[in-house]
Amino acid sequence: MGDSSATGVTFIGPATPSADVLAGALGASVIQHCPADPDDGGWGWDWEPLLRGWQHDLEATTPTGQVVVCTWPTVVSAVPFTDLGPEAWRAQVEWPTALWFTTLVAAAGHCTDGGSVVVVVERPVTLDAPGHAALVAVSDGLVNLVRSLAAIEGARGVRVNVVATEVHTAPAVPRGAPPALDGFPGRIGHEVAGAVRLLLSSDAGGVTGTVLAADCGR
Amino acid sequence: MGTDATTPMTVLVTGASGGVGRGIALACGAAGWEVWIAARRGPEAAAVADEVSAVGGRGRWIECDVSREASVQGVLEEVAATSDGLDGIVHNATSGFSSQAGPIADITLPQLEDHVAVASRGLYLLARHGHALLAARRGSMVVMTSEAGFEGKRLLAAYAMVKAQQRSLVSVLAREWGPTGVRVNAVAPLAASPAMERAFVADPAMEQRVMGRIPLGRLGDATDDIGVAVRFLLGDDAHFVTGQTLMVDGGSCPAP
Repeated sequence: MGDSSATGVTFIGPATPSADVLAGALGASVIQHCPADPDDGGWGWDWEPLLRGWQHDLEATTPTGQVVVCTWPTVVSAVPFTDLGPEAWRAQVEWPTALWFTTLVAAAGHCTDGGSVVVVVERPVTLDAPGHAALVAVSDGLVNLVRSLAAIEGARGVRVNVVATEVHTAPAVPRGAPPALDGFPGRIGHEVAGAVRLLLSSDAGGVTGTVLAADCGR
Repeated sequence: MGTDATTPMTVLVTGASGGVGRGIALACGAAGWEVWIAARRGPEAAAVADEVSAVGGRGRWIECDVSREASVQGVLEEVAATSDGLDGIVHNATSGFSSQAGPIADITLPQLEDHVAVASRGLYLLARHGHALLAARRGSMVVMTSEAGFEGKRLLAAYAMVKAQQRSLVSVLAREWGPTGVRVNAVAPLAASPAMERAFVADPAMEQRVMGRIPLGRLGDATDDIGVAVRFLLGDDAHFVTGQTLMVDGGSCPAP
């Protein structure tokens, strides 16, 4: 059995009920809430001061060896991609991309040598993805950023992995074959937290740059 | 038997004033297609349009900045009006920072914005304003991504991230647009280019790393290897293919 104790877990995520449940289940000792979504400012990013301040906050904390970054969005509403207006595109793709890129780079760099970073994303499987293009794009971009970070931070023995969930976007009636396990899409405090604990633990000491889907086999 | 090389089509290729985009345009032109070269650099776009006409197609060009909504909307309206419709869109344009390798901590927010604006926002704007045109002709969209979109890259982290975003958008769009008869696919090329040649000169070890993992033992040709693959996906021979990322890289990247 690995050192899956939640003691010493730093949890970075939004100030939302579901993120709070995950942080609580992990027994996070440090919780840092990311900046709230800014008002729409049109095309052109004007978030430099906000993100610089956030990055400074992250780097000012005491480094730990177990870091969880939860990227769950506040609102997940389904809309066909072509119907997504420019303001929604900016709010659902460009701002989260800037926020989580900044956050992941800072968090991984701040993790102590030999530590583990787990990034939690909402990523409906492709069958369930219509209507969620914006969310899927951000999440898959972060998955690939994690692969880059795993290659970068591996030299310090830091592992970086992803847990993919469907707890916010699961359809009432899934298309195609039903999920392999009962209980789809899984519970935040049980199946999701368990997957995170596994990747944080030394039992996953040889695992980095991977995606673990905690979705009951969807 | 397919008809992709014989049925005239009208397609628009972004970022086609050089490199892989030019190769795609020439491959389509060689099939007799009408090809719109959409690029920020007008004179270079015009020169490629002339090349398209020289190989048997009908080359046209138009200035376009894919990161600006008004530009994309205006270009698509003008193309559709001039050519009486549009059968295909190829989103090939990429940020000027795409080949700028460096530590992840050195990536600035303006650089990140440029990656997102050209690759992902450009795809969004082309999709938003192009879908109705493509649906009217049961057309097709092809997005040029990269093996970096599968693997991540230690020194090209922002580029790798937006290339993964493109792949995701392709997979979702294929499902959303399928009922309208519009196909959406991606191509992940590995081609010889001036940028690649400069990188090899600057870092000989990189050349060994890149060439050492290509089973076919060479980089792709922008026209004869990459362009024809894109033409296939645009054309009727691929009429039952959608939501895919086709690796055109000599076997370099083992697809997951």
